[in-house]
Amino acid sequence: MAHSHSQDGHAQHAHDHAHADAHDHKPPFLVRWLFSTNHKDIGTLYLIFAIAAGIIGGAMSGLMRWELAEPGIQILTSFVPTGTEAEAEHFYNVLITYHGLIMIFFMVMPALIGGFGNWFVPIMIGAPDMAFPRMNNISFWLYGASGVLITMSMFASGYQSFLGFAGGWVMYPPLSSNTGHPGPAMDLLILSLHLAGASSILGAINFITTIFNMRAPGMTLHKMPLFAWSVLVTAFLLVLSLPVLAGAITMLLTDRNFNTAFFNPGEGGDPLLFQHLFWFFGHPEVYILILPGFGIISHIVATFSKKPIFGYLGMAYAMVAIGFVGFIVWAHHMYTVGLTVNMKAYFVAATMVIAVPTGIKIFSWIATMWGGSIEFKTPMVWAVGFIFLFTVGGVTGVVLANAGVDHYLHDTYYVVAHFHYVLSLGAVFAIFAAWYYWFPKMTGKMYRDWLGKLHFWVMFIGVNLVFFPQHFLGLQGMPRRYIDYPLAYADWNYWSSVGYAITLAGMGVFLVCMVDAFFIYRKKAAANPWGVGATTLEWTLPSPPPFHQFNELPRFDKGDAHAFH
Amino acid sequence: MKKILAGGISAGLTAAIGIGAALAQASGLPVDGGKGMLPAASKLAEEVHFFHNGVLMPIITVICVFVLALLLWVVVRYNAKANPAPKKFSHNMTVEVIWTIGPIIILLFIALFSFDLLFKEDVIPDGKQIVAEADGSTNVFAFDNDFPPSRMAAADRHVQVFLGSAGGAVGLTPGKDYALSGLGTPTVSVTLKETPAAGDKLVVRMGRSLIGAGADKEIALAPSITLKAIGYQWGWTYSYPDFGDFEFSSNMAKKEDTTPELYRFEVDNRVVVPVGETIRVVTTARDVIHAWALPNFAIKIDAVPGRINETWFKADREGVYYGQCSEICGVRHSAMPIAVEVVSRPAFEAWVNAKRVESGMEPMFGAVAAVEAPATFAAADVAAAQAQQ
Repeated sequence: MAHSHSQDGHAQHAHDHAHADAHDHKPPFLVRWLFSTNHKDIGTLYLIFAIAAGIIGGAMSGLMRWELAEPGIQILTSFVPTGTEAEAEHFYNVLITYHGLIMIFFMVMPALIGGFGNWFVPIMIGAPDMAFPRMNNISFWLYGASGVLITMSMFASGYQSFLGFAGGWVMYPPLSSNTGHPGPAMDLLILSLHLAGASSILGAINFITTIFNMRAPGMTLHKMPLFAWSVLVTAFLLVLSLPVLAGAITMLLTDRNFNTAFFNPGEGGDPLLFQHLFWFFGHPEVYILILPGFGIISHIVATFSKKPIFGYLGMAYAMVAIGFVGFIVWAHHMYTVGLTVNMKAYFVAATMVIAVPTGIKIFSWIATMWGGSIEFKTPMVWAVGFIFLFTVGGVTGVVLANAGVDHYLHDTYYVVAHFHYVLSLGAVFAIFAAWYYWFPKMTGKMYRDWLGKLHFWVMFIGVNLVFFPQHFLGLQGMPRRYIDYPLAYADWNYWSSVGYAITLAGMGVFLVCMVDAFFIYRKKAAANPWGVGATTLEWTLPSPPPFHQFNELPRFDKGDAHAFH
Repeated sequence: MKKILAGGISAGLTAAIGIGAALAQASGLPVDGGKGMLPAASKLAEEVHFFHNGVLMPIITVICVFVLALLLWVVVRYNAKANPAPKKFSHNMTVEVIWTIGPIIILLFIALFSFDLLFKEDVIPDGKQIVAEADGSTNVFAFDNDFPPSRMAAADRHVQVFLGSAGGAVGLTPGKDYALSGLGTPTVSVTLKETPAAGDKLVVRMGRSLIGAGADKEIALAPSITLKAIGYQWGWTYSYPDFGDFEFSSNMAKKEDTTPELYRFEVDNRVVVPVGETIRVVTTARDVIHAWALPNFAIKIDAVPGRINETWFKADREGVYYGQCSEICGVRHSAMPIAVEVVSRPAFEAWVNAKRVESGMEPMFGAVAAVEAPATFAAADVAAAQAQQ
């Protein structure tokens, strides 16, 4: 880093801030947490929200893996009021549906964008707060309302006397229209997603405005840290894709309640219209989930390699390219719905293109490490794990991109394995990497490094055991979203469930690590616990940062040209 | 010179000349601990297997191993102990160009196979077969040129010539065994190097879909039978529009009515199709979306209410093949399997007769007395067929 000498200047800054901020007064508890307009407090709220949602969503997958551990339907029957097989089957479908929705909308998005985005984007660009602090507040509380609605949806009647919507997170009509789920569960779910979408759009507008207008003097876009870049691209994806989802589910709502027929084939509608609209949102959505992770991994790799990120501009524009191409590949989720062959051919070609910018990112991370002096602290271990597992998930994506093979693999466990490798082992590993990377900064406390690493290894083994055998199940033809399966699928399902138990143990280690950090270890974190490689602005502030930072803006337009890459 | 007018497709002959191997066995089921694709039961599925196992898997395995090796190398070589002083570089145009161009080349290589396969899967074959019987006097056989495409073949792309004799059928090699003339004119003729014996059969096939992974590629014939599958919550209704549109429901067999291995695969009424013939499958649904899947044939097509989707398959071997509904459709989604029984043409005709009688129609096929009841054949259906004769 050509600017390590400027570190000292910043340390000086940090000292001044700490001094000035000592007079910083925090609002009283309720005002601070309910009416918060402070980006760090709102970020903290988002992270707590995400942790709560993660526990619920993770428990749901636990029920699923428990039921699937052996053939037959024997576990979920004891979790439903009537205890009948039919209600257990419905409940299983409820689980897969809400597991998906909760993990996507209420765990990964709030954690990466709402949590880490709110916490660190303003700091990284040298801004005192977000551009619209009050909008930031409403953005969070809309999420809260959305969470209440989705919870109500789970306990409202869906199909006959059975509770909850059970049609998968994709909500395809007619299964999600009055034909398949006449009860109010689906309506509540639609309203929940409306609010979640509104929240995300407001948040995205906030990020775009903040990043475009509030960068510190001299920090051009091409000097901006990659995490801020990743959130900027993500925010554009949100603003462009969520309205399309909102439109689709609004049409579904009017189909259900006001006799419109957008998706009702009996009256001239087309169920596939919904699928096109849904995936026009849904595919950018998967990049919304992973792009902030890309940004985080770049920081961690550069920090612990003590080297500037390799190919900074390539990394930034690879994310832009992924975001752009992500909008024109949606129908690769729909190869079996009866598209014309030419349309499929186009989507095959467009989809495979995404492998190029993704490859650039993977290789650039490795090139960043190359020649570095790598310290394998906990965040770095998670980041290296991310790079490998995301590669595995990425190459199976290339397989699935080919419609000729997808006709075989579509809607099998191969697809489940693929998207869990990029999300559960990609986005979630990025979240943990970010958590361990910024935990000292956010809380002012250190954790025991070996506990963080133990957490990594247990979870690495666990999630791989959960999801790797699912490739085999998919190749052997086992369809997704099945509560019960023929005997021949028993072996791999058993091992997959064993993997869940190991993952659960890994989460236990995480809990221990956190309790230990807060109550037993209680070691104060330095402003910069990671050393010379950590060059972004958050490490110039004390840990935790003052309630208001940068009362005097850091400048990058004087003296040495400062850049974070 | 012997001229034979193009007749209908003689599918029975396909089996007779041995293009499709005839092995009667229920096969293609998953096995516990199995890691690969289910056995291919058609030439098209073999091609899918080749693309996945022979092209994609090696590529993605090499990529993963390569990335893993690079990661392990940097972990070993560039950890803080091994390399205390980090280097400062952050750009290298050469490697950046390599890792941009490299993946593009790999993707182009994949695309070579991918698009070809996709079009073979999605375009219903139009192949046509014509048979001439030799009288022993000539080696020149002329045919009306109304082969697809455009009903007049103009190029020798996708032409196959077989000679069926008492010793079985052999595929002939252009140039070595025969010459083709008249392409692009109303009459094409095949001139064999050697005059075939009286009674030998010359089979000429032309069509756009040359299917198969190995050396024995085959021109797929246009569909001879349409099978209509209608999904409902939770089962399938099948109808055969070519044979009077008789219709029957197919629901998952109860646990006590089948073996433990087949539970959740087996149904009460199987779909029956003849071996060696191209079957057009059309799907739709009555309530919500379902998907008709047969992994052994590498096909999966959604059944969408208000739409008709189509795909095709051609079974190479007799047997029973299973699939399961592959689009979430509600409570009993995991309980609407698909079972397809592939039988000989005579057995199929007997089954059609029986089904027609069940539906109050006359039998359609007369000369099916020689039917051997396949072991996998539903006993009741055979009894009905025999009663009818």
